[in-house]
Amino acid sequence: MTDAYRDFPPPIGVRTVRPSTFAQYRTLLARDLRQEFRTREMLSSMGIYAVLVLVIFGASFAQVAHEMDLLKISGGLIWALIVFTSLLGLNRSFSREREEGALEGVLLVPLDRSIIFLAKATANLLFLLTVELITLPLFFFLFLSGSEFPTTFWMILGPLGAGSVGIAGVGTLLATMTANTRGKDVLLAVLFIPLAWPLLYACVVATTAALLGPEAVEVSYLGPVVLALGYDVILIAVSWLLYDFVVSA
Amino acid sequence: MKSEAYRARGASSATPGAPAPPTQDIPPAPAAATAPAATLPAPTAPTPAPTAPAAAPTPALATAAPTTSAAPPTQDAPRAICVEALCKVFGAHRALDQVSFELPRGAFLSIFGPNGAGKTTLLRILATLTRPSSGTVQVLGHHLKDQSEDLRARIGLISGRSMLYPDLTAEENLIHTARLYGVLDPGARVSELLASVELTARRHDVVRGFSRGMTQRLAIARALVHSPELLFLDEPYSGLDPHAVDLFDGLIAQIRTDCSHSFVMVSHDLEKGFELASHVLMLARGKVVRAGRREDLDFAEFAALYRQTVGRGIA
Repeated sequence: MTDAYRDFPPPIGVRTVRPSTFAQYRTLLARDLRQEFRTREMLSSMGIYAVLVLVIFGASFAQVAHEMDLLKISGGLIWALIVFTSLLGLNRSFSREREEGALEGVLLVPLDRSIIFLAKATANLLFLLTVELITLPLFFFLFLSGSEFPTTFWMILGPLGAGSVGIAGVGTLLATMTANTRGKDVLLAVLFIPLAWPLLYACVVATTAALLGPEAVEVSYLGPVVLALGYDVILIAVSWLLYDFVVSA
Repeated sequence: MKSEAYRARGASSATPGAPAPPTQDIPPAPAAATAPAATLPAPTAPTPAPTAPAAAPTPALATAAPTTSAAPPTQDAPRAICVEALCKVFGAHRALDQVSFELPRGAFLSIFGPNGAGKTTLLRILATLTRPSSGTVQVLGHHLKDQSEDLRARIGLISGRSMLYPDLTAEENLIHTARLYGVLDPGARVSELLASVELTARRHDVVRGFSRGMTQRLAIARALVHSPELLFLDEPYSGLDPHAVDLFDGLIAQIRTDCSHSFVMVSHDLEKGFELASHVLMLARGKVVRAGRREDLDFAEFAALYRQTVGRGIA
């Protein structure tokens, strides 16, 4: 024992008042954001990967762009970009928790374990939206700068929002399940793609409709967006309910 | 769910007229009904850690926890742990098989057993980290099945893994934990704990840059941030340097001066575990091989049984 140790002021009693659910959510979310903004581990890997995909798209379309209307297939390309990027991020989202068993530390806290899911899903959503905010303008600049956008162009925000929420929600649940498995990278994709298929299909259709114009929007926009929102509500509710079971099975 | 017990806890025992300690709010556990339960008798006196430094007690922990009584727990004292016919199955593997025992409050239980005996599984179930396959478990009067959330406010775990976030600083890690537990004035509590584990000078450093010993010391502080009544120790000495071992022993000895705290330690170090314990339990292949009060057991005989258990490949 050192002298400095002996000189320390006398202890105080430890008083605890159980924090509100929102306060615990905020604490968990703030921790994730603080870690990410300190290391930029997830954002940088997702960003670099997205740019890499854009470069490959660019190389491919350079050969055939004059023969086809890229606007018609942009919906699919955008969602391919988002899905691949988000899978990379989701795989990394639990790496810090795994490293020193920190997730167990949080599981020992008296909180509704679904809050852990909600905080992690929110963090993943924010990171995904940040990457989209950077890469999508780049996508339009690189591939669609010569195209004439319809008046319904802004409506791509609907499927983008619904799709991102769904990917973050379902992806967070699956990333938790696969976090301690061998070959988790592949396993996450294997589980994620079939489970998220209805969401991705709806988002691709709605995004394409928004890019094609009012006529397409009238036919195939509202239904897919409602489907995507319904998917979000159901899957996130299921994830919320299952999370305690998943982390303590 | 917010329990009244939770709200009331944390009052310093030094404060006259402080609210009733939480243990008084907890209904006593029902009397043991099953014959096979290995009832561990209450310790007759608190057993101080023999290796603890005699001087300079750790200030932060001396009165940090709520106390209920200075007297040692008696045979009639409420039980810290009551386990009946506990089983845990992983696929075809039976990690725990009909484990039953009781532990009085204020006791220090050391669990021994060879690799794969089920020690850590038992500890994880008691700490609410793993669900049992069958059987009933009561910890500090809470049934694990439906009251685990309330229980978690009163327990802590120190394991081989630090449970810290490597990219946060020492202070940020502890503040984060303190906020989750709802510690009032987390800054002051964190300062106390950092001083206790002699990491005040490194409080603003990122944990990733810490040595193994420093990380483990911080992990100890993390586990004590809410002053748990029951502390689970899973191989707590692994990775500790001699200085950290002394420090850890000192912290444990200090907490043990307050007889309301209970400990459950899993260890491979028979001598150390036996020395610290008031009660011991030996597991092999998920079954209880021997359980009892330390003073009723002969160390040489116990060690021989342990060696026999390992040597004959029972586990």
